[in-house]
Amino acid sequence: MPVAASAIYFLNLRGDVLINRLYRDDVGGNMVDAFRMHIMQTKELGTCPVRQIGGCSFLYMRISNVYIVIVVSKNANVACAFKFVVEAVALFKSYFGGAFDEDAIRNNFVLIYELLDEIMDFGYPQNLAPEILKLYITQEGVRSPFSSKPSDKPVPNATLQVTGAVGWRREGLLYKKNEVFLDIVESVNLLMSSKGSVLRCDVTGKILMKCFLSGMPDLKLGLNDKIGLENESQLKSRPIKSGKTIELDDVTFHQCVNLTRFNSEKTVSFVPPDGEFELMKYRITEGVNLPFRVLPTIKELGRTRMEVNVKVKSVFGAKMFALGVVVKVPVPKQTAKTSFQVTSGRAKYNASIDCLVWKIRKFPGQTESTMSAEVELISTMAEKKSWTRPPIQMEFQVPMFTASGLRVRFLKVWEKSGYNTVEWVRYITKAGSYEIRC
Amino acid sequence: MAPPPAPPQKSPSPSQPSGKSEVSDLKLQLRQLAGSRAPGADDSKRDLFKRVISYMTVGIDVSAAFSEMVMCSATSDIVLKKMCYLYVGNYARCHPDLALLTINFLQKDCHDEDPMIRGLALRSLCSLRVPNLVEYLVAPLGAGLKDGSSYVRMVAAVGVLKLYHISAATCLDSDFPAVLKSLMLTDPDAQVVANCLFVLQEIWNLEANKSEEASRERETLLSKKIVYYILNRIKEFNEWAQCLVLELVAKYIPSDTDDIFDIMNLLEDRLQHANGAVVLATIKVFLHLTMSMTDVHQQVYERIKAPLLTLVGSGSSEQSYAVLSHLHLLVMRAPMLFSSDYKHFYCQFSDPSYVKKLKLEMLTAIANESNTYEIVTELCEYAGNVDVPIARESIRAVGKIALQQYDVNAIVDRLLQFLEMEKDYVTAETLVLVKDLLRKYPQWSHDCIAVVGNISSKNVQEPKAKAALIWMLGEYSQDMPDAPYILESLIENWDEENAAEVRLHLLTAAMKCFFKRPPETQKALGAALAAGLADSHQDVHDRALFYYRLLQYDVSVAERVVNPPKQAVSVFADTQSSEIKDRIFDEFNSLSVVYQKPSYMFTDKEHREPFEFSEEIGNLSLGQEPVGNSPRYDESDKDLLLSTSEREENGGPSTNGPAASGYSAPTDYNSSLVSLSSQTQSETAISDPGMPKYTSQMTLAIDDLLGLSVSAAPAPPSLKLNPKAALDPGTFQRKWGQLAVSISQDCSVSPQGIAALTTPQALIRHMQASSIQCIASGGQSPNFKFFFFAQKLDGPPLFFLVECIVNTSSAKAQVKIKADDATASEAFFGLFQSALSKFGVL
Repeated sequence: MPVAASAIYFLNLRGDVLINRLYRDDVGGNMVDAFRMHIMQTKELGTCPVRQIGGCSFLYMRISNVYIVIVVSKNANVACAFKFVVEAVALFKSYFGGAFDEDAIRNNFVLIYELLDEIMDFGYPQNLAPEILKLYITQEGVRSPFSSKPSDKPVPNATLQVTGAVGWRREGLLYKKNEVFLDIVESVNLLMSSKGSVLRCDVTGKILMKCFLSGMPDLKLGLNDKIGLENESQLKSRPIKSGKTIELDDVTFHQCVNLTRFNSEKTVSFVPPDGEFELMKYRITEGVNLPFRVLPTIKELGRTRMEVNVKVKSVFGAKMFALGVVVKVPVPKQTAKTSFQVTSGRAKYNASIDCLVWKIRKFPGQTESTMSAEVELISTMAEKKSWTRPPIQMEFQVPMFTASGLRVRFLKVWEKSGYNTVEWVRYITKAGSYEIRC
Repeated sequence: MAPPPAPPQKSPSPSQPSGKSEVSDLKLQLRQLAGSRAPGADDSKRDLFKRVISYMTVGIDVSAAFSEMVMCSATSDIVLKKMCYLYVGNYARCHPDLALLTINFLQKDCHDEDPMIRGLALRSLCSLRVPNLVEYLVAPLGAGLKDGSSYVRMVAAVGVLKLYHISAATCLDSDFPAVLKSLMLTDPDAQVVANCLFVLQEIWNLEANKSEEASRERETLLSKKIVYYILNRIKEFNEWAQCLVLELVAKYIPSDTDDIFDIMNLLEDRLQHANGAVVLATIKVFLHLTMSMTDVHQQVYERIKAPLLTLVGSGSSEQSYAVLSHLHLLVMRAPMLFSSDYKHFYCQFSDPSYVKKLKLEMLTAIANESNTYEIVTELCEYAGNVDVPIARESIRAVGKIALQQYDVNAIVDRLLQFLEMEKDYVTAETLVLVKDLLRKYPQWSHDCIAVVGNISSKNVQEPKAKAALIWMLGEYSQDMPDAPYILESLIENWDEENAAEVRLHLLTAAMKCFFKRPPETQKALGAALAAGLADSHQDVHDRALFYYRLLQYDVSVAERVVNPPKQAVSVFADTQSSEIKDRIFDEFNSLSVVYQKPSYMFTDKEHREPFEFSEEIGNLSLGQEPVGNSPRYDESDKDLLLSTSEREENGGPSTNGPAASGYSAPTDYNSSLVSLSSQTQSETAISDPGMPKYTSQMTLAIDDLLGLSVSAAPAPPSLKLNPKAALDPGTFQRKWGQLAVSISQDCSVSPQGIAALTTPQALIRHMQASSIQCIASGGQSPNFKFFFFAQKLDGPPLFFLVECIVNTSSAKAQVKIKADDATASEAFFGLFQSALSKFGVL
């Protein structure tokens, strides 16, 4: 049984019910009180997202300032339930246009009830695809695609789509200018030991697309990954200097991708949904190019003084630059006074997160920058307890750089009417959890 | 859009009077609008409806407006209709008479020309959940299933299930399952097929216990024909329906290996699906299909590793927790296969603690010769973590790795470094570990003792750490020059010591120290015994009295009892039986994996409560008890230690107060007492057969002290057991949790018996012949564990429950008996022992 949710609740941080949808009778109406009593008002909150109280299991998630709770009375598929919540939130966001928080819920609660009715019936998930639901649940709510009254935009073949048989694309789309935008977004996760050796490092990437294409186009995407090149026997024929190949550890695709063709021909071919979607996700652990090296030295001089020295080196191409670089160096709670010297950017002490925050707006490639800081501490009574140093964290964005080295070799659009398309490709690498122990 | 009013109170309950005037106000306004055809009427109706729904959401009872709402529902505005349906669905059950009013307009809507309205009306009609309106459901449902629009058919299919839950008989009599079945096999729309599938699954699962036909039908759903039909259409289904289908396939029993490979080839690409739930469901199919083929099963592990690791890293921490729990299960089943992936389980600073905890357990499990160094280095990093529970957990993990491995050299050094970190909780955890390590590797005592000796006992506050330190002081007093003096200063502060556990250890340590260095300790021991005798805690008092009398009787006997030579512990026992683990594996991709217990334990009512007990039983008796034949005294000692420490984990470090020590009394009390008394009995009996009188006197004295004149009561002359005794596992567990141990004793098993005990079944059959039934068994050579029960033949149904741990290498069985009627347990033990001794002899 995948989910068979008995009820879904949305609560704010105080525990007030924002939305309350009972799907089955097997849980009582006081279930939400049980959640409040046993989870929200205790230390249990946040210790485990799955909890059993009485005979029921509570699966809950916090999203901005809202708790979403699924109650099940039997055994249930946890992964499916959490995924359902995530997808449902994405759906709500696409309706509200952006934020999903308490205010948005209060302002749209009728719409949310409408949607909850459609996306889950008697506890079983139904169709959650926003493209389809938007056909018949509109914000105005007065229009129905089936209404016999003449409407401006006839939607062909709507019945089939409502139940998701074609799923991701309507027929009869028409654009004056046919455009495709493709973004490769990678986030680098790094865990470096205090001695400078890489403990763990991987890249999770996704390819995001925005398609404004008429008709039913067929798209083909070629990447410089190893699987993609093997079968085309280009691996051998290509001159060696034309670039390396990338080994993807694991790939997942949007449902529009023809997986059989990916397995046999090793190309990513698909009929894209209209508008924005995530084409694929991948993960790489081997051969990651780290965009930044961080060399920290932190000295504790006696009990009341600390010297912090952080050197950051950019190791990507000299023509490129990183944006929004932030280095957060944790300092003890009893920090009293700080003074800084930086070669670029600005640094300050942020007491609310107990960190020295060093910001550099634009960081060119193949350069280095240092911050040295002196920290004075208040001497406290609990002197015996030494300070545990949390890791230094870093944020950045490097446009036109991929930490994995992944590149798009080609993107072909084919449609029977044979129109011309404009393709835009962008790359960006962001910091995921970029941690350096010190 | 007007925002709904803020809830009037923090936790409004449905019946509270607040909002009453608003409700009557709403009623009035609704009534005015009901008949209105004015142009703006729909808009004002919407605002009113919204207010009604928002009141309903926060829990204010607005059912009073039911008839007004129904009157207003005649509208063409679809949103208004939906709000009205929602309202009706919510209140129909408590107002069945009013619900009748809605039937009319819902039925009318079921014939609307717009399929959307038809579907909505049908859904609401089925959601009324009023038993006496069932008759109105059958016709619209029948029509809905044949509707031209797939949307309506999809809704109708679920409607059948709703009807089944209101009135199973009506649903089955109307032959809806058969209609669904044909729809499932013929409908062009995938969602309709999926809905039919889960509805049929749920209905037949619930019906299967009642009729044979239903269980046949359930089998048919898993037949090759249906499974293949659905599998071939799998790509048409949406992601959620795919999960459902895959769940079905996981139950399918393939006819031959070609069958298995066909399915796996077909589903291979599902492992690349973007939805993690689909990937997990596919993994379940792969794992279950290949259960019988060991090598392919192993390949499956290799194949699913990458997608699982990706899923762990993507999505919210709740999602990765769900995936990690499954990965955890697989890692525990086959740690070898994951030993090279250890870096994936390194904790990130920002990981929530529930994720970190799982990762630590996995790191512990996959540590082997090749990666121990890296893993232990990483774990040591966490020991300084800000998150104290995780820091503790990681120190424990280091200790567990040390207990698993032979090359502990480096690890011991690390542990000793922890002691130098001078953080109270680190020191506390480490001391407990060092104690366990010394029990397994006595050869390290020299290095450890040197460091432990430097710790000031003032820096150790936590009871279990203090107990561990004292244990070491007693055990290795010959190597620690200061031992008697440290003990002496601890004894001087006897009254300030809150935890009974520590005081108990102090007594024992003083005894041990005394045997090794009499002149230095004599004074301290005297003070300890005096303080112990005056102690208000019963266990402490009894132990002091026992030691005192033992010393009075004969010092050399006392030494044999309190400080006999010890064997190193070879293996610390596993807590979960392999049977339970297999059941959890069968229920892959469900809550069972997250809870780490099979579903019957948390869904069946009769299991839920006893489970708590059974956990405690595990800790008390089998938790991490040394399985070798280490001296009995030490064991009861360990029991105490463990049970308190476990509780502390659950309840937080609050055992310091007098209330807490009072709380620990009832559980430990009986077991420790009984094992103490039985111990005297057996020890003396072995050492000095000429002195049985003294022994029984002694036990009596102790029993008298506690007002338990149990063994003094004459045992019934003969006890007959009911050969057809029956007890279900739930009751057994409950009883086991409730009853106190009445007898706990070791007995020997004949060599022939040991030879015959190749599998637990052999003994189970043998005991059955003596009317002693087995309820659960497990273990592997050399340790087998059994739970038996027997029932008294005549009189009221009185049960005897037995836990019996047989160690084949030492030819001993540890027997613990709990009985409804404790006076008869002595007689029963006689029966049990004679039955056991005959095992293999006949």
